[in-house]
Amino acid sequence: MDKVTNVRNMSVIAHVDHGKSTLTDSLVQRAGIISAAKAGEARFTDTRKDEQERGITIKSTAISLFSELGEEDIKEISQKTEGNKFLINLIDSPGHVDFSSEVTAALRVTDGALVVVDCVEGVCVQTETVLRQSLGERIKPVVIINKVDRALLELQVSKEDLYQSFARTVESVNVIISTYVDKSIGDVQVYPERGTVAFGSGLHGWAFTIRQFAIRYSKKFGVDRAKMMERLWGDSFFNPKTKKWTKNAKDADGKPLERAFNMFVLDPIFRLFAAIMNFKKEEIPVLLEKLEINLKSEERELEGKALLKVVMRKFLPAADALLEMIIIHLPSPVTAQYYRAETLYEGPSDDASCIAIRDCDPKADLMLYVSKMVPTSDKGRFYAFGRVFAGTVRSGQKVRIQGPNYVPGKKEDLFVKAIQRTVLMMGRFVEAIDDCPAGNIVGLVGIDQFLLKSGTLTTNEASHNMKVMKFSVSPVVQVAVEVKNGNDLPKLVEGLKRLSKSDPCCITSMSESGEHIVACTGELHLEICLSDLENDHAGVPLRISPPVVAYRETVEAQSSMTALSKSPNKHNRIYVSAQPIDDETANAIESGKISPREDFKTRARLMADEYGWDVTDARKIWCFGPDGTGANLVVDQTKAVQYLLEIKDSVNSGFQWASKEGPLLGEAMRSVRINILDVTMHADAIHRGAGQIMPTMRRATYAAMLLAEPRIQEPVFLVEVQCPENAIGGIYSVLNKKRGQVISEEQRPGTPLFTVKAYLPVNESFGFTGLLRQATGGQAFPQMVFDHWATMNGNPLDNTSKPGQIVAETRKRHGMKEDVPGYEEYYDKL
Amino acid sequence: MPEMPEDNIIVAPALSTAQDEQEVFMRFSEKRHDRPHLNQDGVHTDEDLFRAISDYYSIPELAQYLSSRGSGGELTFQSITLQFPDHLIQDSAIVSKELQSLLSHNTGSQVELHTETSPKEKEPCGGDSGCKKCADCEHGSDIEDFGAKRQKLWILADTSYSTCCVDEIAAEHVNSDVVVHFGDSCLTPVDKLKTVYVFGKAFLDHDQVISRFKETYPDTDSKVVLMSDTTYSHHLEQLHEALLSEYPRLAYAAVPQYQGKGAIIPTPEWREGGLSIANRLLQGIPKDDFNFLDEEDYSQVTLDYQLFHIGEPQTPRLLLLSTLFSSIVLYDVAKHTTSNGPYPSLQRRYRSMHVARTAGTVGILVNTLSLENTKTVLNTVVKWIRNAGKKHYMFVVGKPNVAKLSNFEAVDVWCVLGCSQSGTIVDNSGEYYKPIITPYELKLALAPEVTWTGKWVTDFKSVLDLDEDEDMNDTQESPDPYKDESAPEFDPVTGKYISSHAPLRQLQHLQIEIGDDEPQAGQLVKKLSSAVAIKGTVSTSAIQLQSREWTGLGSDYQNEDQDFDEEGAVAVEGRNGIARGYSTGGQRY
Repeated sequence: MDKVTNVRNMSVIAHVDHGKSTLTDSLVQRAGIISAAKAGEARFTDTRKDEQERGITIKSTAISLFSELGEEDIKEISQKTEGNKFLINLIDSPGHVDFSSEVTAALRVTDGALVVVDCVEGVCVQTETVLRQSLGERIKPVVIINKVDRALLELQVSKEDLYQSFARTVESVNVIISTYVDKSIGDVQVYPERGTVAFGSGLHGWAFTIRQFAIRYSKKFGVDRAKMMERLWGDSFFNPKTKKWTKNAKDADGKPLERAFNMFVLDPIFRLFAAIMNFKKEEIPVLLEKLEINLKSEERELEGKALLKVVMRKFLPAADALLEMIIIHLPSPVTAQYYRAETLYEGPSDDASCIAIRDCDPKADLMLYVSKMVPTSDKGRFYAFGRVFAGTVRSGQKVRIQGPNYVPGKKEDLFVKAIQRTVLMMGRFVEAIDDCPAGNIVGLVGIDQFLLKSGTLTTNEASHNMKVMKFSVSPVVQVAVEVKNGNDLPKLVEGLKRLSKSDPCCITSMSESGEHIVACTGELHLEICLSDLENDHAGVPLRISPPVVAYRETVEAQSSMTALSKSPNKHNRIYVSAQPIDDETANAIESGKISPREDFKTRARLMADEYGWDVTDARKIWCFGPDGTGANLVVDQTKAVQYLLEIKDSVNSGFQWASKEGPLLGEAMRSVRINILDVTMHADAIHRGAGQIMPTMRRATYAAMLLAEPRIQEPVFLVEVQCPENAIGGIYSVLNKKRGQVISEEQRPGTPLFTVKAYLPVNESFGFTGLLRQATGGQAFPQMVFDHWATMNGNPLDNTSKPGQIVAETRKRHGMKEDVPGYEEYYDKL
Repeated sequence: MPEMPEDNIIVAPALSTAQDEQEVFMRFSEKRHDRPHLNQDGVHTDEDLFRAISDYYSIPELAQYLSSRGSGGELTFQSITLQFPDHLIQDSAIVSKELQSLLSHNTGSQVELHTETSPKEKEPCGGDSGCKKCADCEHGSDIEDFGAKRQKLWILADTSYSTCCVDEIAAEHVNSDVVVHFGDSCLTPVDKLKTVYVFGKAFLDHDQVISRFKETYPDTDSKVVLMSDTTYSHHLEQLHEALLSEYPRLAYAAVPQYQGKGAIIPTPEWREGGLSIANRLLQGIPKDDFNFLDEEDYSQVTLDYQLFHIGEPQTPRLLLLSTLFSSIVLYDVAKHTTSNGPYPSLQRRYRSMHVARTAGTVGILVNTLSLENTKTVLNTVVKWIRNAGKKHYMFVVGKPNVAKLSNFEAVDVWCVLGCSQSGTIVDNSGEYYKPIITPYELKLALAPEVTWTGKWVTDFKSVLDLDEDEDMNDTQESPDPYKDESAPEFDPVTGKYISSHAPLRQLQHLQIEIGDDEPQAGQLVKKLSSAVAIKGTVSTSAIQLQSREWTGLGSDYQNEDQDFDEEGAVAVEGRNGIARGYSTGGQRY
């Protein structure tokens, strides 16, 4: 652990059900934590009861493994290393889209990612999402194509078909990588011939890389290993007659040649499979001998699948292939932090903390990012789970705990406290340690009261925060919860706190009308969160409302006339107009590309260059809202109004207030730009104070919005369904009923499977899975992930339209007057 | 001063585009007033009107009361103030005239009339009255007669706080002995003054009410309580009688005897028993309803009852009633219609209570000065807030409104001390910038554990009782071993951690820091701008001010990159005067 160059922090990421946890088992088994027999079934990293029952991972789990590498292999490592002992900190993450926030939290503390892809299903929607996320965090991927046994046993494909399927998968992974790659991290595409792609079966516990076969054959052929690796992939053929390597698929006589990969790599595997599965008892010992596999006497007795498992595990142990790939190809913290530092740190890249992160310096001031909270066995207490990026963290050390709202030099969200203990997290167990140097993943005890979800720990007073994680998912599905028994109320509030602590993405809040709201990313997430809340965090019976969707209020046009509002004393006037912000800009604000914390000049430059803004307008952005961060803007377009800035603070507060609860249904505004055209102010400061300006700005904003064709936006899921051809009809009919919009339908080459992608309004998604299963006889299982906000057609002010009904319903729920007030309510005549 | 040529006048730069608007005061051309509270069918001449008003306000009885004498034979009430709410002020002239004549007849002394409106403007008498002595207040108390035979009448209008309460301050301006309060009232006891309440006997069409009532409750077995504003209360008994035969489980709410000093005119009948609830005595609830309840829980009986309310109560009272009864139907007297909702929701107050839990600064808004116990409650509330480590500021703003309250940005939550009928602000549409709560809700919010009783307690006495109970239980509390004093509080409203919920707890920590700063030699002024602790307390408003972007003149140029003149301009004489009209270079604006 102290030799940071020999540490690898990596996460296992993939689409749901592609076999992450199972594969992780084979690594855990190598470390001797679980028995070989159980590996592949135990799912060591699924620590929760419901994870085991449902067979899906919900929370990401960390384990640390020790590994040794041979002399030969060490030479292959292109980065600095010391000795041949390695520590691998591995985080197994959930694959279901609803839990991708867990993936984000895992990625933050790791430098490399093992991307697991199902050999049959190929690259799926979540594979793409997690890959994109990891590249955004500058994390280097390696790939394992999993479930090869399925291809062999169930689909009975030919060698060449299998090769083609592998090649296609690798190709599609590379397409994604090249789309999202960040230049500063270098070429991170994966190449089987360089050993960054492995093939295997997590369930059977075997896997290989081309490198392993190359080692075998380089001795036999007397060729250099690197050369051999290149020959074993791609259009490379071996002519057994001439004993020559060639690039042509045909020999001199025009006879087809067998691909080297098929011949040297796949052939032994195919033969083993054929012999064992077809019970050719006499062939098996011959093969085993040839492949130098020694079985124990009791293992010889086995037959069929059981025998196959044992044999394959001896022949190509998964742990060997994976550990080798991880150690050789994934970066050490030292290597990775060099290029990750600037994306991790909020402050300037030349300050001491940033340099310490870049150098991964264990002697510098501490910089630690807490990425999530892990519940302890002690109810209500949490381990703060995170990564030391610089310095060394010790038990008893006094640190500055900086929450997400901390601003350097201010006292808000800042605590100075001692760390009680530092621990290593090992799946279900923890192990206390004295200290932990930069580059490692660690759990901390005793600081959980000061951080809700994440935060920065440092010992340097001048340090800025580490960048806050941006989640790819959005909590758009919400329910109201209340206690069945009034006396349990304190427990519910405490439970809500614990829930929002333990889940990186789940948000608990209270509606205007005083209901406790739990917001999650999808139905499954909601289900898990609520059952946790009811059974664990709060431990009291709850009444739960049917799920509802969070809407947004927006405008579609420029205000039809200038909106004017007068202050309560009639002495101040604000003239504003509203206009929509285009989707790209709004998304950029939401994803943090355009950030309110940035210097306004750089921001204006960016907005002018990439989003087509007028640079003067962009410079005169007064504020973002709501909460100072949302995708609504106030732009000062006044000319020569003296002392205008004096009311800026009041105008901004008024806008925060207005944008948090729009005029239509009391939901947050989105994509609305308010231009301040002119302002008249009373000459006396007291008559233009906050009390006069704030309510006026709010009214003006409402009037301008109502004059600019107000619309409501609803969240839309991207749905991906994989199913056989005969189920497609069912999918279409369900989608039609649910206002879904199909965007693509593709057959996955080499399989009978079709992939249908569609947009589906979140509002319609409740119960969608069940309906789909019904309509397709259980053959289709959808993956839904929040994709974008879509403006609903129809005037929300018209009670007969769909948005109008939503407005009426929501207003009723919020206890507001039934009808949306006209703009006249907020507009004052001159 | 000689006229200067126009171009020579140096005019200060206008702070804004010109104020081109002329304020126009409302003018009344119509002399005749609409008096919807009287049954105007028979009123045609002035005499009719006089009679109707005299009858409405029971003026003979009132005069009788006012002309009572003490044991020494001197008049008990020498200085009498008449307080009218805004909508009844039109009757003030006639009432005072009638009283004048009756009183002088009764006591044989001279009765003078004065008008006093607080705070500054004098209320002109209604044009249709015979009032001649619209005199200034100043020379009201000059003639000292032997044995104090004189009686003086004063009219109070434009009540500072809530019209349902007695404006004690205004009455004290003229050393009043008694306040006669006209119109609907909350009957909250007043601290010092004697008070006479005259509700007025408003007209009510009984047949209409009864038929609406029957429409509303088709089930004759329903448990219903009849209630009304105090102005209609004298009808209730009759209505109750009329309906009882059909609705055996009907009860009604009578006005109780006045508890404080003073009287209600006409004096309500003395009633034995009855359940006291929301300033009323419930009559006619059968005994067996209480059978399964402890004495303390008697008030829960009403939860089974529906309420039929004549007239529309003020929002806070409506909220209170909605927590006491299972459902409410309001009867609109003018339109003869019923409505059932929407009513203010208690659930919203639950949210405000949570906001108060994490608030750092509490603004105590004093919205009454006359109520009994105001001072005690004020001190108690301050004590609570201090103990919770929060900062408080105290405000008296006259009649509160959105603009006034949002001037104080540092305040996170307001706690209003006011009369429960209309002095409490119930913000139902999210109009106010920051939530406004009552002392009872504040008490709940400051409790270490979240509690919510579903009750809405507004009267000061119960709040103080609450405090006493607490003091007795104080010793039992054991602190949470894990709880760190400075740990942030989870805010269920936003779902975030709030670290500023108890600014006073940081005091110690700040003091140490300030102590570290050695005053440097040559430093003339103690640097205060960065300090947030002033005179041994944390100033949350200073923190707020420091976070403002506008830091004074010139700060608006900091972000501009265009060149500006560092030297600035020569100082010239600008405007002077008061806000109503400034003068610049001798010219008025």
